[in-house]
Amino acid sequence: MSIKIIKQGVMCTLQDAGRQGFRNIGISPGGAMDIFAMHVSNFLVGNNEAAVLEINFPAPEILFLQNVLISLTGADLSATVNNITASLWRPFFVKKDSVLKFKQPVFGSKTYMAVHGGWQSDKWLGSYSTHTKVMAGGHLGRPLQKDDVVGFKAKDFSLAEDKILPWHISKNETDKIYLPSNTIRCIAGVEWELLNELSKENLEKADFSITNQSDRMGYRLSGEPLSLLQPTEIISSAVDAGTVQLLPDGNLIVLMADHQTTGGYPRIASVIKADLPKLSQLSPGQTINFILIGLNEAEAALISMMQTLTEIKTGCHLNFEKYFQA
Amino acid sequence: MLVSFGNIIDKTTNEKVIALQRAFAESFFRGFAETVPAYSSLAIFYDAVAVKKYNPSVRPAFDVVKEHTEKLIACLGDNVIQNEGTVITVPVYYNGDDMDEVAKQHEITIEKLVDIHTEKTYRVFMIGFQPGFAYMGKLDERIATPRKSSPRTQVPAGSVGIAGFQTGIYPFSSPGGWQLLGQTPLKIFDKEKMNPCFFKAGDNVKFISISKEEFEKQNEY
Repeated sequence: MSIKIIKQGVMCTLQDAGRQGFRNIGISPGGAMDIFAMHVSNFLVGNNEAAVLEINFPAPEILFLQNVLISLTGADLSATVNNITASLWRPFFVKKDSVLKFKQPVFGSKTYMAVHGGWQSDKWLGSYSTHTKVMAGGHLGRPLQKDDVVGFKAKDFSLAEDKILPWHISKNETDKIYLPSNTIRCIAGVEWELLNELSKENLEKADFSITNQSDRMGYRLSGEPLSLLQPTEIISSAVDAGTVQLLPDGNLIVLMADHQTTGGYPRIASVIKADLPKLSQLSPGQTINFILIGLNEAEAALISMMQTLTEIKTGCHLNFEKYFQA
Repeated sequence: MLVSFGNIIDKTTNEKVIALQRAFAESFFRGFAETVPAYSSLAIFYDAVAVKKYNPSVRPAFDVVKEHTEKLIACLGDNVIQNEGTVITVPVYYNGDDMDEVAKQHEITIEKLVDIHTEKTYRVFMIGFQPGFAYMGKLDERIATPRKSSPRTQVPAGSVGIAGFQTGIYPFSSPGGWQLLGQTPLKIFDKEKMNPCFFKAGDNVKFISISKEEFEKQNEY
């Protein structure tokens, strides 16, 4: 009841919705970078909350030691099972001894893989998410390596394995989350007013490209350098995923899932929660444009995304029950 | 949402931060997630979807949380709890790599440097930077020292350092720019514990100097 990593990938970790309530002792929530794809991956295979594999390119090669129901969501990294193309955003059976590979990135950067019943993994402070700094949660608190064996929680899944399962997420639904892919909405940050007028304009006008110094902690951007009205010392204070900080050299960093809990750089903006999945799927070299929106609109976007997730969950679970009871 | 009590590092301001943190922890508010206290501010994290659900109106969730926060602040009044109670003692073996340099900069002996660092009771103003890293202060100005001009690529876990008017302990080995005075044998972040963090914001801390032998006897790393 498990898989085996036969070729190691880059930062392939187990992640769930993250751990809440420990920021005050310096532990950020962590969790899947793309919360939308993570949840949908689980819902498709009949799960509620469970850990999923967050897969980057170069991706691991995975051998299945047992039959299992899986789903792949998020980035299109040209997944194949036994060299046959595997579809995204739908549940499918994988037979024992099959090999899952990812050939090349086509769209996005992170694929999420859920298995029915969830993965066997370590829970730390209420979450299965891998915290690499503390080395806790997920699989031994670290990214998966060659020869790692990760188990499934569910017992043998020996149902009509050859059948095509009819439910999936339409492109229309995912487009709403991921397109247009380079437009990132944000709201003004705590220190927005410290920016000079030109910099305020340039935040929206200029293109910013994602640099190679980007990981689960944050995305460093390069573009038109921004500046403050006057040099200002900020006393360290809380930051969050999505916080856009202005570095002393005029460049920006957007904090991501594994961010520090506090920081001392001016927080000029915040990427809205509803656009974090989209931003998570962008890779170094790609260019983004920021659009500044109001708080009301930001909240409405989040509520809409969460509503979509609730609808997807209900739909998937109904289908799942209908199919496996009949 | 961020409540700022001014752009200042002092005990009175930080006491207000901690008092509001307590008020939040004790108040019942649907959609409230967690707070992060810092030197002079408290960040309030909330679930906007839940807040809207339980407070159906055209107002943004932010406004609802703001109103609740303002009520709590009004109730704080002058009743800011002054935490003069217990003092946490942290043993330190003062063998840090920057002892000589720091002592030289202030034209004092190493013994005097240890005396001054162990003399005061420090307040934990906030925890951040990495899991369990406590920012404590304020240092006696006779030993306040700027960060190193180029950070070390590796500072060992348990290192006790100073930077400006702050002092702190590295819970994990990591890159770092603080001037290193010594090493504590205590594991100040232990993932196996229910409450993994040795400190919390608002704590009082006093360092005591221990010998190499005592350090080795107590070493938890």
